[in-house]
Amino acid sequence: MRFLLFVFLLPVGLFAQNRATLSGYLKDSSNGEVLIGATIYIKSLSTGATTNVYGFYSLTLDPGDYEVTFSYIGYATQVKTVSLTGNVRLDLELLPEGTQLEEVVVSSDREEQGTKSLEMSVNRLDIKTITRIPAFLGEPDLIKSLQQLPGVSTVGEGASGFNVRGGSVGQNLILLDEATVYNSSHLLGFFSVFNPDAVKDVKLYKGAVPAQFGGRISSLLDVRMKEGNNKKHEVSGGIGTIFSRAAVEGPLFDGKGSFIVAGRRSYADILARPFVDILNDGAALNFYDLTGKANYNINDRNRIYLSGYTGRDKFFFDKNQGFSWGNNTGTVRWNKIFNDRLFANFSGIFSKYDYSLQFGENERDNFRWRSSVRNLTFKPAFSYFINTNNELSFGAEANYYSFEPANAYGTSNGNRIDISLPEKYNLETAFYLGNNQKLSQAIAVEYGIRFSHFVGLGAGAQFIYNDTVPGLRKTPIEERTFSSGEKMITYQNFEPRFSIKAELNDQSSIKASYNRMAQYVHLISNTTASNPLDVWTPSTNNIKPELANQYALGYFRDFGKDRMFEFSLEAYYRTTENQIDYIDGADLLINEFLEGDLLTGIGRAYGLEFHLQKKVGKFTGWAAYTLARTELKVDGINRGEWYATRYDQTHNLKLSGFYDINKRWSASANFTFVSGTPATFPTSRYTIQGILIPYNAEDSRNNVRLPAYHRLDLSFRLEGKTMRKNGNPRKNSDYWVFGVYNLYGRRNPFSIYFTQGSERVAVGSPINSEARQLAIIGTVIPSVSYNFKF
Amino acid sequence: MKRIVYFLFLASAIFSSCEDVINPQLESAEPVLVIDAWINNLPDSQKVILTRTQPYFQNIFPPAVSGATVTITDQNGTIFTFLEDKPGEYVWVPSGNDVFGTLGLNYTLSVQTNGETFVAESRMGRVPVVDSITFFVQEAGQFNDALYQAEFWAKDPIESGDSYWIKFYKNGVQQIKPSEIITAYDAGFSKGGNFNGVEFIPPIRRAINPFDTDENDQLLSPYQVGDSVSVQIHAVTEAAFNFLNEVAIQTDRPGGFSELFSTPLANVSTNIRNTNSNGSKVVGFFNIGAVSGLGRKFNSLDDVTEN
Repeated sequence: MRFLLFVFLLPVGLFAQNRATLSGYLKDSSNGEVLIGATIYIKSLSTGATTNVYGFYSLTLDPGDYEVTFSYIGYATQVKTVSLTGNVRLDLELLPEGTQLEEVVVSSDREEQGTKSLEMSVNRLDIKTITRIPAFLGEPDLIKSLQQLPGVSTVGEGASGFNVRGGSVGQNLILLDEATVYNSSHLLGFFSVFNPDAVKDVKLYKGAVPAQFGGRISSLLDVRMKEGNNKKHEVSGGIGTIFSRAAVEGPLFDGKGSFIVAGRRSYADILARPFVDILNDGAALNFYDLTGKANYNINDRNRIYLSGYTGRDKFFFDKNQGFSWGNNTGTVRWNKIFNDRLFANFSGIFSKYDYSLQFGENERDNFRWRSSVRNLTFKPAFSYFINTNNELSFGAEANYYSFEPANAYGTSNGNRIDISLPEKYNLETAFYLGNNQKLSQAIAVEYGIRFSHFVGLGAGAQFIYNDTVPGLRKTPIEERTFSSGEKMITYQNFEPRFSIKAELNDQSSIKASYNRMAQYVHLISNTTASNPLDVWTPSTNNIKPELANQYALGYFRDFGKDRMFEFSLEAYYRTTENQIDYIDGADLLINEFLEGDLLTGIGRAYGLEFHLQKKVGKFTGWAAYTLARTELKVDGINRGEWYATRYDQTHNLKLSGFYDINKRWSASANFTFVSGTPATFPTSRYTIQGILIPYNAEDSRNNVRLPAYHRLDLSFRLEGKTMRKNGNPRKNSDYWVFGVYNLYGRRNPFSIYFTQGSERVAVGSPINSEARQLAIIGTVIPSVSYNFKF
Repeated sequence: MKRIVYFLFLASAIFSSCEDVINPQLESAEPVLVIDAWINNLPDSQKVILTRTQPYFQNIFPPAVSGATVTITDQNGTIFTFLEDKPGEYVWVPSGNDVFGTLGLNYTLSVQTNGETFVAESRMGRVPVVDSITFFVQEAGQFNDALYQAEFWAKDPIESGDSYWIKFYKNGVQQIKPSEIITAYDAGFSKGGNFNGVEFIPPIRRAINPFDTDENDQLLSPYQVGDSVSVQIHAVTEAAFNFLNEVAIQTDRPGGFSELFSTPLANVSTNIRNTNSNGSKVVGFFNIGAVSGLGRKFNSLDDVTEN
């Protein structure tokens, strides 16, 4: 409590001076969407500010007359003269480029560029770029697009989630309008759950995570939804090879508010229905999602937002049998401007991920299993714009979790047996305080501390396990029960965060950062690829919180004519503790004694990330290259020695290029080269009771590498005509996308596995063994989609 | 799970996944002693097989280990000696109507070879009787003709903690592809599953069907009129149950999208140890357990009962 009091008193006491504040919102003039990260720059003072995620800015200066430049990439810069005698509120709308007149173009000061900003280890993509990257089956995908940037990878097509700087899939915090998304994938892992039609801003923190965020040790993917057009009603959508999308947006309450609703549904099963009988029998292979958001401006100091997401995947063999999974989230937010310098946001968030499996064609014999994780979050966050050199942020977060590992029963010949496992309840709270400070014209620092606290709450049971040889199943030797609401276990951590930027000259800078992160909930997964049935489980007396320390150092430079090239080179080093691995033959699903099958160890990851981007001109694009190593050391695996993780990729090269052929045609290409991921190969074989068993004499894990992965994708985009035949401009706009995924049809290895084959062994003959290489996508995949807006 | 796998196959087809047989270079390794000792109380000769591991791609019979001394001793000190019958095959032959072992007793296997002694323990567990075998049909569909399948009925005893290996035979030949390793912990799949004291759960009851495909990848009916099916329930220790599940995980690799759900290759466990902990390595398993069984002939389509 004292901590909070301090936070509140600090700014009031120290910085109350006779100065004036310029503040307000920056928006897009075409649709009223707020602009995130837009720049406000005062040339005479060589100082400025950027808008926060709600489009708000605040600059406190000595009274006087100023020429203020407002700019944002892709928008026409505006220059205003502001006479600052008292506090001034200035809300402004910027005109998107392409709609502006030639003479308004002012070369921006490009404060927002990587070289000048304090941010490092951040991948950011705007929706325009995402829609231009050639995509699998022609569907623009946020997470697949992020994988074109350095430091982000995947174990292969079809795998859920993504890996950042050597972190596992479960170590990424994925937020959709601040709500946790527990599984970011549709159709196993072929598509992500985010509908690009409803997304406004995507930012991936690979390191240097601000104190405001915590709860996962690898990265933070912050996805912000569009608010919806508050000027006019708009319908957009697309018809693609595998699914169709539609979005409606428009003003509410005379433009004081707006809304957007966007939906998608796959229809592979609908198209296949006439040809595949089982689909008429209730079988399904589909997914859908629905994203919606509304906001209302109560007055110029108060604004509320409501956003939600629901999505589900269904794999049903008939109407009684199959599995499904889905996320649901809801966020209520209240933006409050207490005064020109104190901005606050209060968020109430609900999130749930669940999956279910069911078998059995009749009542006498069946099996039903549902598993879920839910959380309720309350998050007050404050920004205090002390002066042009200091922006203080502070706040708190309380997360209440309930985990339902298995709500399950089975019926065998009419006898119903409940095999449910008890729910687990947890409370995770955090307080944070951070300051973003300009020390001089060239040097800026951001420092902060986050204090996180985790409690396991009853009712529930704790197990004490025996000590055994590492790698063998532990058995419970004692059970402790707790009554409802009783504290079962407590963990807490201080998580310091620090970053610094020093500009070497006008065109280059170096940056460094350190952050410590703690993670209290864990994704339990021991399969080759993460999949939707992976279980989330909280820290307990046996599962300690995962901890990470990350150090990063970067060099940033702009060069070329009009600074058309942006270059960055970052190095990172990350150490982790309490990493989870699994005994051989671990039983992770519906297992009350799951903890007995877990092993823990330490991890290390390091790498170099290189990024070169050309941002302007007819030809744009980038090259991203990552050289990395990720290893774990776990007692009971690989003789207790370091081993490369499944997602360790030594070389990871991505090339993306975009070329405007003429006014209507444009082309995009991307090329991916990833060196082989690790795999475990046997050395020998032996036979027990007629079954051929592979054997690795050295007890190694990941002792070999699969062949390299490489792929080229192409797409062409044809813009619809902008003029009607009679010479008037068309009201509607549309475009076609023609794409080819895996242009040269390479059978990229997803895995190599060893088997005695599916043939029955003839009596009296030896068993044959073979190695098989699997390619998830084995051919050229063409696609076409049509997109419209009216 | 079968159906999931089947469905994943369909999904694989949609995304045109594909597989190639390859010949990667493997690390070489010294051969290791393999002990295959699964003893039961059927009125047959009991075998312990000693071999050595061989390079993974060496598709010939494994090298036999001859000249070893193999004994099993029960907790009362009774010694059963196994004599080498064929190279690497050590046999104990019952006299008269005798069978091996007594329910509930602990047994120790001892193998002496090349101056080293390897030992393992096991306890002889109980089994429920197989009450009946029935036949059912899955009608012809787009991807298959009518599939005639067998189902066995048996009830797990009330106290928990029993584990079983269920073997099945078609026309007297054991069906033992990696996908046909059927295990049960009480009446369900696993210890944490808590199915106890009831009829084996349906996926276990119906697992006694050999699925094969013809040259056109059409699924063949597991049984036809005229075939016979028999089932044996073998009691196994919990360690052996874990071992069999590990073996199934490591060997049952149907490929396609199911690879997304596969776990890393790892060595399966063994309950055999070298009395000299610095001595040479050993793999394999020793289990001793009671057996129950039942057979039935598929005489005519009238044998097929409604679902």
